[in-house]
Amino acid sequence: MAPLSVVFGLSCVLFGIGMFGFLARRNIILMLISVEVMLNAVNLSLAAFSWHWQDPRGQVLALFVIAVAAAEAAIGLGLVIALNRNKPGAAVADITELNG
Amino acid sequence: MAQAVFYYLAIASVLSALLAVTRRNPVHSMLWVLSLFMHVAGIFLLLGAEFLAAVQVIVYAGAILIFYLFIIMLLDVPDEERGERFGVHWKFAAGASLSFAALAFFAQEGPLAKTVVPEAGAGGGEGSVAEMGRALFGPYALPFEIASLLLLAAIIGAIVLAKKKTGES
Repeated sequence: MAPLSVVFGLSCVLFGIGMFGFLARRNIILMLISVEVMLNAVNLSLAAFSWHWQDPRGQVLALFVIAVAAAEAAIGLGLVIALNRNKPGAAVADITELNG
Repeated sequence: MAQAVFYYLAIASVLSALLAVTRRNPVHSMLWVLSLFMHVAGIFLLLGAEFLAAVQVIVYAGAILIFYLFIIMLLDVPDEERGERFGVHWKFAAGASLSFAALAFFAQEGPLAKTVVPEAGAGGGEGSVAEMGRALFGPYALPFEIASLLLLAAIIGAIVLAKKKTGES
């Protein structure tokens, strides 16, 4: 099995990819799925630390992260539906109602 | 053997993530994210987190991703196929995420990292599912209940957000 730093490096790379997707994509649904990629990268690093130190607490924390991700998906997509009712499409550039 | 499997899973998950954030069609993106989640579940198995791997497949791939797919197909996102995939600032986004990933990786060594001496692990080699159950319903019972409260709040919030307002207009 690979050493801890390699697993942690993989987690960093996945988090960077998710961050790039969140910052660069302009579709709100794809931005939300990029957040899921980032959360998954964090879960990977938690599982890796849990494995390295033989401590179940990392896995418990990862489980809570998954619960929060499910809540975030429900709320985020509810917001997308509510936005879509006012203005069709999912491009964030069109959402400017709160402009001062 | 385990090492070769790990490197395959790592390379495949990085490729899936890259394809997921760069595809033009949102449904293709979702399918690449599905591939990413499956490969990460395999890495969880290699790391001895069987329960986490099962939850990853059931909750992430089975519930959350299907929910996203439902929304994409429901909304019929029209302009994504034609317009630009990325905003004009995508180079800055790439630079920021690259430097963040590098910073996070190199922070594990050197003056930024503290040497942590872990306590002796509580695991007596009985497998991670039993260990996790004991942790979740023992010392972490209160966070567990709070997580269920959070999910309840999310359900109610999603219903309130997505409900048609009948009283107005």
